[in-house]
Amino acid sequence: MAARLLSGVARPVNGLLLAAAIFLLIGSLKSEIFAQQTVAGVAQGAVYGSLALALVLIYRATEVINFAQGELAMATTYIAYQLIQWGVSYWLAFFLTLAIAFVIGFGTQVLVIRPVMHKSVIAVVIVTVGLFVLIDGLVLWKWGGDLKFMPAPFGQTVYHWGGVAISRQDIGTILLSIVTVVLLWALFQFTKVGLGMRAAALRPAAARLVGVRVDWMLAIGWGLAALLGAVAGLMTEANQFILQPSLMQAVLLYAFAAAVLGGLESPAGAVVGGVLLGIFLNLIGQYVHFITAPLRLPFAFAVLLAVLLVKPSGLFGERRVRKV
Amino acid sequence: MRNKGKMLGALLAAVVVAGFAVSAAAGAHQADPGITKTSITVGGTFPLTGVASAYKTIPAAENAYFAYVNAHGGVNGRKIKFDVLDDAYNPAQTVPLTQQLVEQDKVFAILGSLGTAPGLSTWGYLNDHKVPQVFLATGDSYWGYCQKQVCLGSKHPYTIGWQPDYPAEGRMYGKYIAKNMPNAKIGILFQNDAFGKNYIAGLVQGLGGTSQICDKEGFAATDTTVTQQVLTLKGKGCDTFFIVATPGQAIAGLVTATKIGWSPATFLANVSNIRPFLLVAAQNGASLDGVISSSYLAQMDKTSLAGPKLGRSIIQQYAPALLSDWDLGDSNLEYGMAVASTFVSALKSAGKNLTRASLETALHNMNIKNNPFVYPGMTIKTSAKDGFPLEQLIMTKWSGGAGGEMQPLGKLQTVGH
Amino acid sequence: MTRPPLSALVAGAIAAAVIALLPFAISDYHQALFAQVAVFFIAILGLNILVGYSGQISIGHGAFMAIGGYTTAILSRDHHTNLVLTMLVAFVLCFVCGLLLGLPALRLSGVYLALATFALAVSVPQLPLKFDKFLGGSGGVQSAKTVSHTWLYGVSWLTAAILFVLGWLILRGRVGRAFRAVRDSEVAAVSSGIQLPIYKTLAFGISAAYAGVAGSLFVLGTNGFAQPNEFQVILSLQILVGAAVAGLGSLWGILVGAAFVGLLPTISKDVPVVGSAHGQDVVFGLLVVLVMLLLPQGFAGFLGAVKRFRTRPDTP
Repeated sequence: MAARLLSGVARPVNGLLLAAAIFLLIGSLKSEIFAQQTVAGVAQGAVYGSLALALVLIYRATEVINFAQGELAMATTYIAYQLIQWGVSYWLAFFLTLAIAFVIGFGTQVLVIRPVMHKSVIAVVIVTVGLFVLIDGLVLWKWGGDLKFMPAPFGQTVYHWGGVAISRQDIGTILLSIVTVVLLWALFQFTKVGLGMRAAALRPAAARLVGVRVDWMLAIGWGLAALLGAVAGLMTEANQFILQPSLMQAVLLYAFAAAVLGGLESPAGAVVGGVLLGIFLNLIGQYVHFITAPLRLPFAFAVLLAVLLVKPSGLFGERRVRKV
Repeated sequence: MRNKGKMLGALLAAVVVAGFAVSAAAGAHQADPGITKTSITVGGTFPLTGVASAYKTIPAAENAYFAYVNAHGGVNGRKIKFDVLDDAYNPAQTVPLTQQLVEQDKVFAILGSLGTAPGLSTWGYLNDHKVPQVFLATGDSYWGYCQKQVCLGSKHPYTIGWQPDYPAEGRMYGKYIAKNMPNAKIGILFQNDAFGKNYIAGLVQGLGGTSQICDKEGFAATDTTVTQQVLTLKGKGCDTFFIVATPGQAIAGLVTATKIGWSPATFLANVSNIRPFLLVAAQNGASLDGVISSSYLAQMDKTSLAGPKLGRSIIQQYAPALLSDWDLGDSNLEYGMAVASTFVSALKSAGKNLTRASLETALHNMNIKNNPFVYPGMTIKTSAKDGFPLEQLIMTKWSGGAGGEMQPLGKLQTVGH
Repeated sequence: MTRPPLSALVAGAIAAAVIALLPFAISDYHQALFAQVAVFFIAILGLNILVGYSGQISIGHGAFMAIGGYTTAILSRDHHTNLVLTMLVAFVLCFVCGLLLGLPALRLSGVYLALATFALAVSVPQLPLKFDKFLGGSGGVQSAKTVSHTWLYGVSWLTAAILFVLGWLILRGRVGRAFRAVRDSEVAAVSSGIQLPIYKTLAFGISAAYAGVAGSLFVLGTNGFAQPNEFQVILSLQILVGAAVAGLGSLWGILVGAAFVGLLPTISKDVPVVGSAHGQDVVFGLLVVLVMLLLPQGFAGFLGAVKRFRTRPDTP
C-alpha cells in the first residue's frame, strides 16, 4: 500500500497536480478572495476525501460501493451526540464513537454483506441500499428529525494571515484528515493485519493459501471504513454547526465524485480527489456565474461521468485491462 | 386482457351509478364532514421529519392550545380534534395524506399545513372538494391573492394564508435601508427558489431599484454549507448582509460571516428569527449584536404581556416536554398558539351552526384585535376583498451579545401585501 | 419463457380479476392508494427488464419518472394536451432519453454504472430549480386538468396491464433472448452474433420508457402537480428495492414488489411500534436486507421454490 500510495500517483498525474498547485498558488497570491476560497475548499474537501477514502477501502476489499456509507457516518455522529448528552466530554466521545463505528462496520460486513458477497454486485448494492433506508429509519426513530447541536470541537478562534481568515475548525479538520490517512497508511504498511488486508484484497486465493483469514480481513476493512466515515461525519457536523438526519447526504455524493475522480482503487487518489473537488466547487461558485447553486450537484456529477468515460480508472488509478 | 378491458368498462359504468347514489345520499346529510354536536375534527400536514423539521413545534403548540380550549368548554360546546400528519415537506406525500384527511378521516378543514410546494400541491384538490384550507404556514402571496383572481388555472376561494407575505417583509427592509443606509452595498444570501426570489423582489421594490445591491449568491435548499457564497459576498466588497434562508443555512451564514472577519450590517428574514437557533449561531462564534429582523409575535420574554404568560402556562400544562423550548424563545411555539387562537376566533364567529360555508364567511370577515400572541397593537383583519390576515410587522434588532435577544426597533408598521 | 405455465396464467387471471373488481369494494381514497401500486408496478416492471433481464443496474430510474411526470404536467399546462396522450409522449421521450443514457452506460458496468445512474437521480431534480421559467422552479408545475381517483385507478391498472403484456411479449421473443444472453455472459453473447451495443442500449430505452409512463401517472396522482421534492433519490431507491423484493429476472413477483413499496408505508401506520414515526422505515429497510439474505431471488424465487418443492415431493 505504501508503494501503491506513492507509485499510484503516476508521472503524468504528478505533472498535472504540480500544474494545479502552481495555478492555485499564483491565484492565491494575486487575489485574496481566491486564496480564501481555496483555503475553505481544502477544509471542505478534506471531509469529502475522508468519506471517499472510506468508499475506496471497501471497494478495494470487496469491489462494491457501500451506498449506506454516508448514512452510517451520520448515525455514528448521532452516537457521539448521545454520548455528549450523557455527559461525556467531546473528545472522549469522539474516540469512543470511532471504536463503536469500527464495531458497527465490522458487524455489518459479517452479518449482512458476507452472505450476499459472492452472489452478484447487484445483490450487494441492493443490500447497501436497504441499509441506507434502515439506518435512516433507526436514527429518525431514536432521535427524531429536528436539528441537534454539539459543542464545537476546536473552539471559535480564527487566525488571519494577510487578509485570509482560517478558523481553528478548518485547521483541525484538515489536520485530523491528514492524521487519519497517515495512521491508516501506517496500519497497512507496518502491521501484520495491514499486510493481511492488502493480501486479502489483492489476491484472496493466494492469501488464503498462506494462512490469511480473508473473511476477517474484509470485515476489518469495513470496520475501518466505518471509522473513517465517523471522522467525516463528526467533522461535517462541526463545519455545519447542526446535526440532522440529512447530514451526510450531499457529502456522500461529493465523496462519490471525489472517489471516482481520484480512482476507486486509489486511497491517495480519494483524498486528493476530495480536496481538489472541494477547491474546485468553491472556485466555480466564485467565478462561473452560470453554475448557480442548483447546478452544483449536477456539475459534480458531470465531472464524475466525464471521468468515468474518459479515464475510468480515475486520475490516480492504474490502467487495468479489466473493463469497468 | 380483453376480458379485463370489458370488466373495466362495466366497472366504470358501475362506478358512475354508485357515484350518483353516493351524492344523492350526501345531500340528505345535515352537517358538514368533521362536525358533530360535540366535536370538530381538523387536520394538517407538517414536516415532522426531514429538511424542514425545525418547524415541527408549530403543530405541537397548536395542539396544546386546542387542549386548553377544549378543557375550557371548547368552541360552542364542540371540542377540537387536530390530526397532524408528517409529509416530510414532500408534495408527493402531502397529496395522499391530505386525501386521507379529507376522505378517510373526514376532517372539517385543513389547518396550518406548512410549506409553499405542499400547499400548491393540494389547493386545487381542496378547492374542488370545497374543503377550507386555512392559515397555510407559508408567506407566499398566492394564498391572499388567489381567492378572487385566477391563479394557475383557477380561483381558490377556500384557501387562505395567515402571516405577512414575503414580498411585504422584503419591501419593509428595502425602505428602511433606502432611508437610513443610503450608501449600503447589499450582499444577498438567498435560497434559490420561489421563497428567496419573492423576498428579493420585495426588497428591490422597497429600495426603489437594484443600484444598492452589490451581489446575490444563491444556495440550494439541500445545501448545508454556504461558505463559498458568504466568501464571495465579502470578496465583492458588500457591507450589508441580507440573509434569506431557513434556520439551518441562516446559522451557517451568520457564523461564517463572523469567522471570515466580515462584519457587515446584517438583515435576517424573519422565518429564521427564532431565538434558540440564533443562540446556536452565537455559541458557534457568530456576533449577533445589531442583526435586524422583524416579527409579528409578542415578545416571548416579556412575561408581563398576556400572550407570553398564557402561552407558557398552556405549554406547561399540555405540552410540558416543550417548556424548555418555550423558555429558550422558540417562536414557532408562539406562532402555533397565535394561529390556533385565530382559528378558534374564526370558529366562534362562524356560529353555532358551523358549516364550511359559515367558516369561509367568518374567515373573510375577521377583525381580531385581542389575539394575545401577536405583537401588541396588531389587528388580524380580512374582508371580502382582502385575503391577507396579517399585514403589520415590527422590526427588531438583536442586543445583549451571545445571550441576548431581539428588541423592537421603531414602531409597528403596516406593510400591506 | 416460450409460454407461461397454466398455474401462472390462472394466478395472473385471478390477480387481474381482483384488481378489476377491487374498486367496488373500496373507498375512493383507497382507489388512489391502490393506483399508486400500479405506478410502482410499471416502474418496477421497467427496471426489472433492465436489471433482471439485461443485467445492467440502475439506481436512477426516479430521474426518468421525473422526466415523464414533468412531460405530462408541462404539456397539460401549456397545450392542454389530453392526459393519456401526454403519457404516450412521456413514453417516447423517456425511451429516447434512456437510449441516450444507455450509450455511455455501454462503457460502464457494475458499481460504476450504479454510481453514474445514482448521479442522474440526484442531478435531474435540481434542473427545474435552474431552469425555472420553463420547469417551474420550486413552485412546481400544475397541469391544467386533474383526474378523479377512479380515473386514476382505471387508467393506471389498464396501462400496467398493457405494459405487462408488452413486456412479456418483448421478453419471450428474440429481443428477450438476446437480453438474457448479454446478462449471462457478454462474451458468449458476442460470439453468438448478438450486437451488444444495440441490445444494451435498447434495454435502457425500454426500461426508461416504462419509468416515464410511471412518472406521468405518479404526477397525475399528486393532483397533476410536478415538483422537484417529489423525485428525490429515495424514489429511485424505492423502485430498486421493489424490484429486488419482486425478484429480478422474473415477471411473476412484480405485483408483490409493487404492493410492498406502495402500501407498506400506509398500512403499517396502524400497527403498533411499526406505525410509530419512522417505525415503517426501519421495517422497510430491514425487510429489504432480509429478503436479499434469505430470498435472493425475491418473491418470484420463493414461488419457484414452492413449485419445485411440489413437483418433486420426494426431495425434502
